[in-house]
Order: sequence, then C-alpha cells, then structure tokens
Amino acid sequence: MNKIKFHPSEELLVGYASGDLNPALTVVVGTHIDMCPRCRSVAEDIQNHMATRELHQSAPLAEPDLNSMLEHIMASESPIVRSAKVHEQVSLEGKVFKVPRSLGRHVDRLGPWSHMPGGLWRAPLELDADSRMNLIYMQENASLPEHTHRGSEATLVLNGVFNDEHDEYRDGDFIFLDEHKHHSPQTTDEDCLTLAYLDAPLQFTSGLARLLNPFSSLFFR
Amino acid sequence: MQVMLEKRKSRQSMSSSQREPQEMTAEHLGQLLAEVADTRSRRAFSELFRHFAPRLQSFATRQFGNEQTAMDLVQETMTNVWHKAHLFSPEKGSPTTWIFTIARNIRFDILRKNKHRQNDVSAEDLWPVLSEETSDSDEEFALDTKILMQEIGEYYLQLPDAQRIVVEQIYIEGKSQQEVSDALGIPLGTVKSRTRLALQKLRELISE
Repeated sequence: MNKIKFHPSEELLVGYASGDLNPALTVVVGTHIDMCPRCRSVAEDIQNHMATRELHQSAPLAEPDLNSMLEHIMASESPIVRSAKVHEQVSLEGKVFKVPRSLGRHVDRLGPWSHMPGGLWRAPLELDADSRMNLIYMQENASLPEHTHRGSEATLVLNGVFNDEHDEYRDGDFIFLDEHKHHSPQTTDEDCLTLAYLDAPLQFTSGLARLLNPFSSLFFR
Repeated sequence: MQVMLEKRKSRQSMSSSQREPQEMTAEHLGQLLAEVADTRSRRAFSELFRHFAPRLQSFATRQFGNEQTAMDLVQETMTNVWHKAHLFSPEKGSPTTWIFTIARNIRFDILRKNKHRQNDVSAEDLWPVLSEETSDSDEEFALDTKILMQEIGEYYLQLPDAQRIVVEQIYIEGKSQQEVSDALGIPLGTVKSRTRLALQKLRELISE
C-alpha cells in the first residue's frame, strides 16, 4: 500500500463539506476522501464543527407558525428518495478498474471512450451543464503535451502512476493546478487512470501541440 | 421551590425560542431520533422539532436572506427527519451533524433550482444522506445478505410466519426495511426486530 502524498487543501475540504463546490469538483474531492483516511477524518471534523457552528443560534420563530408546521409535517407523506445505483468498476479496452463509491455513483453518466493521439483515452462525465470532467486513461509511455490552463485543473489518480516535471503521482494523489502552472504529464512503464476536472479548456504551450489549441475544447470538454 | 419550577416550565412552553432549560446532549437527541424511528413517537419528534426548527431557520435565513425560502428549508429538513429517522446511526456522527447534512443538501438543491435541468445531479447523488444505499452499506446488513443468499436454502420456511414474510420481502424481493414497514403497515421498529430475530434463528438453524 503506497502512501498518498498529495491532498486537497483545507479550503477545498471546507467547500466540500459546506456544499459550495460545484458538482464535478465535489466528486473529485469526494473520491479522494474515499481513498484517503486522513482527509476523511479531517472532512468529518470540519463537518461536525460546521454543524455545531451553523446550528448554534436559534431564530425567534413565532409559536403559531411552529405548531402549524409541526402538525403539517407529522401528517405528511414520506418523501421519495430514489436509491442510486453504485457501480464498483469501469472498464476500458478490456481492462477493469475498481472505483470508489463517490465516483461509482455516477458511472451511469459516463460517456463513450475516445482515443486521442499519444496513447490517451478519455471519457466525459457530465454531472450538470456547467461543470465537467473526464476520466483520462494514459497507457504506458504516453504523454500529454505541455499545457497551461485558462482555469484551474484538479486531477486525482485512481489507479497507476504518472509524473510531470514536478513530481510523481500515485493512487489517491490529488493535484490542483491554477491557471499559471505549466505541466506535461506522462507515464513510463505503468499505465494510469485519472479523474480530471477542468474549469476552462486547456491551452497547449509547446511546439506543434500549439496547433491543437483551436481544438483543445474538443479534446477536453 | 416547587413554584419556581412551575414558573420556569410555563415560561418554557410559552416561548420556545428562548433558551432551553438544559443543554441538549447528543445522546438525548439520538434517543429522540430512535424513538421517532421505532415507534413514530410524536412527542419525541415535537421535542426534536422545537430544538432544531429555530436553529435551522436561523441558518437558512443567513444563507438565503429570504424568509419564505428559509421556512421551506426548515420544513423540508424536518419532514425528512420525521420520515427518515431510521437512517440515522450514532456511529456515523452526532444528530446535529446528521440534520445539518440534510439541510446542507436541501440548500444545495434550492440554490441550483433556477438553472436546474432534468438530468442534473442532485445533492443526494453527491452526498448520500437519505438514500437507502447508505443504509445498505451498513456492514452487518451487507454481511447478512451475503450469508443468507448462499445459505438460506429452505431454512427460512421454518421461521414463524411474521418473521418469514419480513425476510422474504427484504432478502428475496429486495425491499428496504422502510418499504416493508409501509407495505405491511407495521412500524419500522417491528420490521427491524423481526429481521433481527429471524436472522438469529436462521444462524442457529444453519449452524446446527
């Protein structure tokens, strides 16, 4: 069992617990939390703390309002909560990957895999109109051209290992890059499945790949 | 002394928005939730309601700045507490945290309602608090399902009728405990205790 080296910031964990992140980022952070006991316990602490703080103060509700709402509730029908199907794995090119529950709940929404140059596959996961993400699979010895982002990028390693010029990333590692960071991810002798959230299209900065820019939105959206 | 106590009591019931007599402990709140779950106790729910409704209102007013939306959140949250109290489990956290997460989810959905499309993800998909999925991952329950499906054989026919029907509906028809309770018109607590007894009995039969 390797140790997770890279974690979401406390700010992201707070946003996760309060419900202020968009759905895609919520899933990326939630999936990391499923994989990382340390962040799970921090997120629980944050949630307890938030609950105590937010529900500390009482508002002066008028008595008649209280009573009528109380009666209304106890006479109400039970709300229907549909139970979601949780998938335990995704498959690609005959390979099967186990996925944590926070991601497994959304596997029904996963679009078709498409092959991209450089030994990459991606499948879009659309949770709502505004925030999107992709599963990205890099086979052995694959590389993504150096790029920067107009927005920020959050990447979670689900299985395998990849590296860029800064470091090496393995199962559970969570990497958050803002718009000024350049990096060029690649794999060597192991493949890698990641979950990647992007809040604006990629901009390729190096060589020929720059020609791809007009199409980068096709690549990553 | 007696008089003073009386006085305090009547003050209390006059205005629930004032400070409560004693600090509500997590243990006490958890007990109230268990009573609501097991016996549909209206008294226990009223006490929970009087504790949480004003707090939720204060939270929601800060969030929305709109009285009506705030009241909607209070009502929707407490409606779920009334009907879904059986999903609370003390091992997963305090009652206050559980109720906060319900309110957090409702807030998330309310804030997104304006631009909502049919297929958009809902808060419950992101942080399951009330889905039956959550209770199915209850380890004891999951383990029992596995054992049962493999080994139950015909043993369950030897159970008393009342227990057999509950076991059939849960383990063969795949209903949740709440659904069985609704279908048979018996309290959820009874479904739970019949399931427990039936599982015990089955374990004995299988290991014989």
